[in-house]
Amino acid sequence: MTDALLPSTRINLERATVLVLDDNGPSLDILSQVVSGFGVKQLHRAESVMDAQILVRTKTFDLIISDVQMPVTDGIEFIEWLRREGGENNRYVPVILVTGHTRTSQIFKLRDAGSNYVVAKPITPKVLLERVFWVAREERVFVECDSYIGPDRRFKHEGPPPGTDGRRKDDLPAEVGAAQMPNMSDDEISNMMRPAKVQI
Amino acid sequence: MTVRKFRPPNRLANMIKDRGGVLAKDAIAAAEAGVETLREASMAALDEALGEIARRFGKDAAERDSQPYEALYLLASKVIDVSAFVADAGVDKAAMSLCGLADSCAEAKAWRWDAIDVHLNALKLLRAMGAQLPVEQREAMLQGLYRVSHYRPEEG
Repeated sequence: MTDALLPSTRINLERATVLVLDDNGPSLDILSQVVSGFGVKQLHRAESVMDAQILVRTKTFDLIISDVQMPVTDGIEFIEWLRREGGENNRYVPVILVTGHTRTSQIFKLRDAGSNYVVAKPITPKVLLERVFWVAREERVFVECDSYIGPDRRFKHEGPPPGTDGRRKDDLPAEVGAAQMPNMSDDEISNMMRPAKVQI
Repeated sequence: MTVRKFRPPNRLANMIKDRGGVLAKDAIAAAEAGVETLREASMAALDEALGEIARRFGKDAAERDSQPYEALYLLASKVIDVSAFVADAGVDKAAMSLCGLADSCAEAKAWRWDAIDVHLNALKLLRAMGAQLPVEQREAMLQGLYRVSHYRPEEG
């Protein structure tokens, strides 16, 4: 689990190359201003997925922030393309999708697009920076299979649903089984808690 | 099906903790100051989107029945995009509700004009004086919109 972003947390995004994508000009302006305010020097803007794809083919990005609702090709399709065909330099880049409203028909598609996080519009600098910090620090594994490429969609590992064995070989059962070793003695527990001098 | 699990290098993770940089509170303040320079342009874009919604989907629009559902959805989305400046008026939430309504109309392939008229009236009122309304009244108005649009804000 990552640490929370505090007001006193120091962040450095000066070397980061960031792509922001939104077909709505005023919205793209807001997004660009926010990201520039965070200290990003290399900011690339795209107003269509086609423009973004050209940039992805020619540059290496450290973060991509994309709108979801766009005509012709939307943000979900863009991320799916990025994860499969974005080239080795960009395929695994952290992606934050921003969306005002999610259509009922798109809820599962959005989950399965392969982004690291979805942020609700209207965006605010505080929330977006928290999410940028989060995706920079997150420790989820990347999953690649026929039907999905992206960060593990499970944010928490709390075991499979009760009464099921889970679908993955590393799923542990939710129920606690019988003890495999004898209980620890009071002394053994106390020894674990005892303060000790350490060489620094 | 082969499933590959791995941890690709995260360049952002290394950069963000480089020496130097700024405090998060200063980065947020700088971003807020930058966004503030866009207030006028954003409000103009918001009013333009609201105006187009009224022209094409208002009670007086002659051919509103023949408008595509998608058009209303996209216009309401444009309102949300720039509504941070009027979040205290509830315009963003009313526009969310209108998006939900347009989406449900598209799924049912039928317009619900009574519900749309209520949303357009509410948006007009909230844009004009939403921030001056007592919180309870504004919230009651939004809850009323959610009821007619079947929008559930907690689900996004």
